[in-house]
Amino acid sequence: MGFCKSASRIWNQFFFTGFSGESLGLLRMYIGVGLLFFHTYQFATVLSLNPIGAMYYFIEPIWYFKLLGIQYHVPALSFVMYAILMGATIAMISGKNTRTSIVVIILCIFYLKGVRDSFSGDVHHRYIIPMQILFLFLLSKCGEVHSRDARQLHNPGGVQEWEASWPIKTMQLYVALFYFWSVIAKVRVSGWVWFAGEGRIQEVLIHRSIRWGVNEKGEVLKNALSFELAQHPELIQLFGILVLAFELGFPLILLIKSVKLRLAFIMGVTMFHIATFVLMDVNFLLIPFVYLIFFDLVPIHAWLKARAWPLFRRRPSIAS
Amino acid sequence: MNRRMVNIILVLYLIVVWAAVIFRIDRFPITWVPMYSVYHPSETISQSIKDKAAMWKGLRVTHRDGSISYVSYKDLNIPKPNFRRLYYSRIYGHDPPKHKQGNTSLGSVNRWIRGLDENERNFSVDWEWRMFWTLNKTLQFEPADPKFITRIESSKQRPVYRKADLAKGDASKVEIQTHQAVIDWQDQWVKRWNHGLL
Repeated sequence: MGFCKSASRIWNQFFFTGFSGESLGLLRMYIGVGLLFFHTYQFATVLSLNPIGAMYYFIEPIWYFKLLGIQYHVPALSFVMYAILMGATIAMISGKNTRTSIVVIILCIFYLKGVRDSFSGDVHHRYIIPMQILFLFLLSKCGEVHSRDARQLHNPGGVQEWEASWPIKTMQLYVALFYFWSVIAKVRVSGWVWFAGEGRIQEVLIHRSIRWGVNEKGEVLKNALSFELAQHPELIQLFGILVLAFELGFPLILLIKSVKLRLAFIMGVTMFHIATFVLMDVNFLLIPFVYLIFFDLVPIHAWLKARAWPLFRRRPSIAS
Repeated sequence: MNRRMVNIILVLYLIVVWAAVIFRIDRFPITWVPMYSVYHPSETISQSIKDKAAMWKGLRVTHRDGSISYVSYKDLNIPKPNFRRLYYSRIYGHDPPKHKQGNTSLGSVNRWIRGLDENERNFSVDWEWRMFWTLNKTLQFEPADPKFITRIESSKQRPVYRKADLAKGDASKVEIQTHQAVIDWQDQWVKRWNHGLL
C-alpha cells in the first residue's frame, strides 16, 4: 500500500507538474517553426523530382502503403502534399484550428515519408520523435494558449498546470527513452562488441569515407578525417564509451532540475549529432530542435522578445 | 479530458512504445530504435565505391527485342540517393538496413510470435523480381512488349582493407574487388505480374 502511494505520488509529481499553459503554447509555436525547416530538409529529395515525369512503381512500399494498396508515386501529388504540410505547420504555429492543423501535418508526413522511404526500401527514422511530439500536441490543449483559437475560446480558466505538464513531460520521457532504447538495440543485436574500438563505429567511418573512391595509393577522395580517425581504434574506443554514456544516461536528464546542467547535457548531445553527421553521414543533424521540450520556454521567449522587439519597433519620424 | 482519462492514455502509450521495443516492432511511427545496431565482427572492411559517371548513366538493360539501353534516375524519376541504392544494393540482392536489423538475432520469443522457424528470415524479399517489376512498370513496358526489359546489369568496385593494417595506420594495403550483377527475367514471373508486390 505504501509502495502504491509512493508510486502514485512520483507519477503525479513527474507527469502533472512543472509547466504552465503558456509554456505549452510557446512550445507548440517553437517546435512548429523548427518543423518548417525539418520538413523541407527531409523531403528535399522528393521535391527535386519532375512533377510531370514518370510515375515510379515502388520497389518496397512502406507498410501502410501496402495496406492501402499504394503501389506507385504520383510526383505532382507530392508537391501538393508538401504545400499543404507547410500551410498546416504555419497554422499550427499561429494556433489556428490547431487540432485540425496537427492532424493534417501528421497525415502529410505519413504520405511524404511513405513516398521517400518506398523508392528503394530504405526506411528512415528521423520523423519518429517529431511524430510522437505531434501526437502528444494533438491530445493536449496546446492550441488554447498563444493562439488564434484562444482568442475565440473565451476560456477564463486557461490551461491548468497538470494539463500543460503531462504532454511535455511525456515528450521528454519519449526522447530520453529513444536514446536509451538505442543502446538496448545495439547490445541485443550485436553485443557489447558494438562499442569496441574496432567495432561498428570504425566500420561506419570506413564505409562513409571510402564509398566515394580511393586513389592508387589507397587514399580516400572524400571524408579524409573519417578515414584518419578509423585508423586509431583507441580514439574510437573513447568515442564508443562516450556514445554509451550519453545514450544510457539520457534518461537522467529527467531528474536534472538545473537549467544550466540540462543545457550542458543538451549541448553535448547536439555536438554528438553534429559529429556523427560530419564524420559518418548519420543524418540526425536537425533533430536537436526537439530538445526545446526540455526547457520552459516562457523566460526564453521573454528574453528573445525583449531583445528582438527594439529591432521591429518603428522609430519616430523626423516630421512628427 | 479529465485526469483519469489522461492517466489511462499515458499507461496505454507507455505500453505501446515499450511493446515496440520488446517485440522489435519497427513500423512508423513506433520503433525499437534499431538504427546502426547490426555489426558482424570481421577481419576485413569493405565498401562499394560510387562511380558517379557510371551510376548517373544508369543501369544497363537489354530489351526483349535485343536492343540495349540505360535506365537512369531521371528515367525513373526518383531521387539520386535512392537510385544509388538500386544500382549498388538491390540489384545485388542486398537488403536495406531495416531488413538486416529485423533479421539479425531475433530471439526465440520474437520468432515464436511471428511464427518463424529457426532459420527462417523475418524479412525475405525477391529483389530480382522486384527490379524487373519496378523498372518495367515505371517505363510502362508489359511482358509481351518488344521493349520489355529482360536483363539488368550493374557493376561496382569494392576496396577491401584488413583491420589489422588500418590499426597500424597503413591504408595502402588494399585489394580492389570488382563485382558484377547480371539478372535475367524469368518467364515464370509472368504469373506474378498482375498481382504486383501487394
